[in-house]
Amino acid sequence: MKLKLDKKNFIPFLQSLMAEYDLFAPVQLADGVSVYKKIDQAEKVDLSISNAQKPAKEIFFPQSETMFRYEKAGKESRITSTEDIKRNRILLGARPCDIQAFSLIDQVFAGKDYTDTYYVNKRKATTIIGMGCDHPLSTCFCTSLNGGPFHREGSDLFLIDLGESYLVELLTEKGMAFQKNKFFEEANEKEISLAKGIEGKATEKVKASIPVNGIEKKLDQMMESPFWDRVQKKCLGCRVCTYLCPTCHCFDIMDEARTNKGRRVRNWDSCLSSLYSQETSGHNPRPTNRERTRQRLTHKFNYFPKNFDRIACVGCGRCTLYCPAHFDIRQTIKEIQEGGDK
Amino acid sequence: MEQTHKAIQNSIREKARELLSSKKVDVVVGFGEGTLPLRATPIFIRSPEEVDRLIWNSYCENNLATYLYKLSQFKVGLVVKGCDARSVVALSREKRFKPDQLYLIGVPCQRMVDRRKVKKAVKGEILRVSEQRDEITVEGEDFKKVLKRDDFLYPSCQVCIHRTPAKADVLVADPVEESSLVEIHPEIEAFEKKSPEERWRYFEKEAGRCIRCYACREACPMCYCTECFVDSSNPEWIDKGLSPSDIEFFHIVRAYHQSGRCSGCGACERACPMEIKLTYLTQKLNQDVKELFGFETGVDPDAPPPLSTYDIEDRQEFIK
Amino acid sequence: MLRTLELRFLKDEDAQAFHFVPGQFCELSLLGKGEAPFGIASSPTENGSVKFTINKAGVVTTALHHIEEGSEVGIRGPLGNGYPIDLFQGKNVLVIGGGFAFTTLRSLVTYFLHPENRNKVKDITVIYGARTPGLLLYKEELAEWAKRSDIKLVVTVDQGDKDWKGKVGLVPNVLEEAAPAAENTYAVICGPPIMIKFTFPKLMALRFPNERIYTSLEKRMKCGIGKCGRCNIGHLYVCKDGPVFSYAQLEKLPKDY
Repeated sequence: MKLKLDKKNFIPFLQSLMAEYDLFAPVQLADGVSVYKKIDQAEKVDLSISNAQKPAKEIFFPQSETMFRYEKAGKESRITSTEDIKRNRILLGARPCDIQAFSLIDQVFAGKDYTDTYYVNKRKATTIIGMGCDHPLSTCFCTSLNGGPFHREGSDLFLIDLGESYLVELLTEKGMAFQKNKFFEEANEKEISLAKGIEGKATEKVKASIPVNGIEKKLDQMMESPFWDRVQKKCLGCRVCTYLCPTCHCFDIMDEARTNKGRRVRNWDSCLSSLYSQETSGHNPRPTNRERTRQRLTHKFNYFPKNFDRIACVGCGRCTLYCPAHFDIRQTIKEIQEGGDK
Repeated sequence: MEQTHKAIQNSIREKARELLSSKKVDVVVGFGEGTLPLRATPIFIRSPEEVDRLIWNSYCENNLATYLYKLSQFKVGLVVKGCDARSVVALSREKRFKPDQLYLIGVPCQRMVDRRKVKKAVKGEILRVSEQRDEITVEGEDFKKVLKRDDFLYPSCQVCIHRTPAKADVLVADPVEESSLVEIHPEIEAFEKKSPEERWRYFEKEAGRCIRCYACREACPMCYCTECFVDSSNPEWIDKGLSPSDIEFFHIVRAYHQSGRCSGCGACERACPMEIKLTYLTQKLNQDVKELFGFETGVDPDAPPPLSTYDIEDRQEFIK
Repeated sequence: MLRTLELRFLKDEDAQAFHFVPGQFCELSLLGKGEAPFGIASSPTENGSVKFTINKAGVVTTALHHIEEGSEVGIRGPLGNGYPIDLFQGKNVLVIGGGFAFTTLRSLVTYFLHPENRNKVKDITVIYGARTPGLLLYKEELAEWAKRSDIKLVVTVDQGDKDWKGKVGLVPNVLEEAAPAAENTYAVICGPPIMIKFTFPKLMALRFPNERIYTSLEKRMKCGIGKCGRCNIGHLYVCKDGPVFSYAQLEKLPKDY
């Protein structure tokens, strides 16, 4: 079902959504810096950026999230759950790579053993309006990881920027619920073919193919390889890659107390922190950057595939773009495939 | 500019070859070619055969002194700009390495190009960059633009007057004429003109983007504590979430921990993925240290660090 | 410093629903302080309460050392896989413990000494060592076990004191002396890394195959259910796929512990 949304109607469209839903979309915090945020003013939505610094996963898996609140009275305590979602949500403008990552994190948090209700409740309550990448960057390699700039899997609605309007595709049952939206008109042949052209051009652009086949097997042989001493040298252990990665999902849990009230909160954590695996006895199985970079790369390309049959990377390129030491994951993948001998 | 850079590059390679062949150092830490335009990457060269991987260009922006903590068992040849050399002097005052452990390959710096500012001057992804004299030409899929290099330098580079490394073991080019590109220190001036409320609002807005990744801390050579105060659980100074007051506490305390130690290299700002302005805090504090103690980080290798030294002449008028 | 806590469920239905196997652990919470994992020291055969032995080391454990009788403690569990007691059926069991690591071994031994379970296994040998007599856990239970004829118990210390009348010797050496037959025997070994480092070769010398040597691993844990990511060894999670592993399993995993 192909509809279109005239950009002249964009703000009123957003406002109509905000009347019924909590709207989450990219917002510019500073020139060139964007994040996905809950929108309080429709004008703040910015779909022009290629991709926000922080991945869209924080809509379902916030960086800092209250798990429950408690209040103590004497020796007893009362706990209040924070699992429920008050209002249905819309995530607008997420790119296919970030959306691919949701299904990956689903396998961990919404798996058959122990469901993460905080995550799952948000997932269930959210309609995803994905957006095709008409100008993928040279650092993008989503196509090497079963994705693509116009990959529609995971989106309920899908937008393609045609210049003066957006082509709107309704893909799922959740998407079809928007069929009668008063701002949507039927798209004509010219617009549909324009969209096809944009999609073709963009997909052709992400042609850089990064060889990931067989990387799991290669890493099986490399646990004690001197490759890890070499690869970690320039790594500062600064954690930017893990915080901006759409597929990273490690977290820490702690209590925050204020006299007799408080909350249990979970925050994003990173395997690159020295304290991440520090044991109370003082022993740390990953004492240096070497073991920690090995953990990060081997988890993404070997351990995760062993458990879930897919690589924990969607090719968004953020780690390459934002690493202060200019680590290039594409180069690292190639080196691993060559046995790490160079 | 390309001529100068090439000459420096050859000099660095020669020196590295000499140091590694004579086994005067175990490793040379310098810069190598990046895989993206406008970027160079730190590299670690261990054999004389590999020295041709070392390069020099306008994107050698990292402060390589930050890697010294990982290399304490080795003799290191370190490629340093003026600011990096001052960090090394500050580190040596804090006894972070043995005196003959380092060999400093000093590069009189031509000032580094602000890749983010260049990126924002064009629409679309930059695919190729070249430099001729004092111009930078950037090309993308459907654009080509010529920019004036001097308009696209890092703020920390624009105000720098210590571009020639002072205590280098060797200089790979002639010392540069020390002068700041701008009249005054614009960041400090702008900050001082603000009222306390305006200063707070500016700081609050910048720090509000922080995601607690600590890239600033890891990129900084002076942040080498084995347990940073933000990671302490007993006592727990701040929580680990995104509470604005905790984030502000982190930024303020980290800036204060840098007073009289920060060389103003700007590595913290360049590392920050959220492009938070950071040097205005440390530079203001450094200016205060200069006024109160006549001390500038890393300039005089014999000057004792003012905040860990007592002098009978220290000012006391603030003690009431 | 060690303290053994005895916890009773506030609600009857929680107590009824709590079924565990020796070797499993629970996450204990003190609201405002945090949560930490502890091996269950009591056996499933000891009804009415659940015991944990806490070593005072950090924020949560220090708080657990200071709580008074009647205080509320949160509990999540039982978690983890527990010892493979089904595999032990009809076989001999050799239990080797060192220092504080004896907590879940107490659970295992108490379980098998219970009249309902004693016939499930053949010979039970327990070798338990600590650095000094003061650091031995569960002295009352040890005294009870010493009186029994259906368990061979050797308690040893690295260094005795003026009152100590028992054995003095390092666990690996005591194991060599006791030299139990490896045939038809499963070994369970828990202790500090240094003890394991020197005891393991002795087990090898006694011809114990890797598939019949089990251990319970320590790792930093948070969620206890394989979600937060931090306790992984290779693709397995110590909280979910462990903490009990056989050495045959560990051989195939990276040395990330």
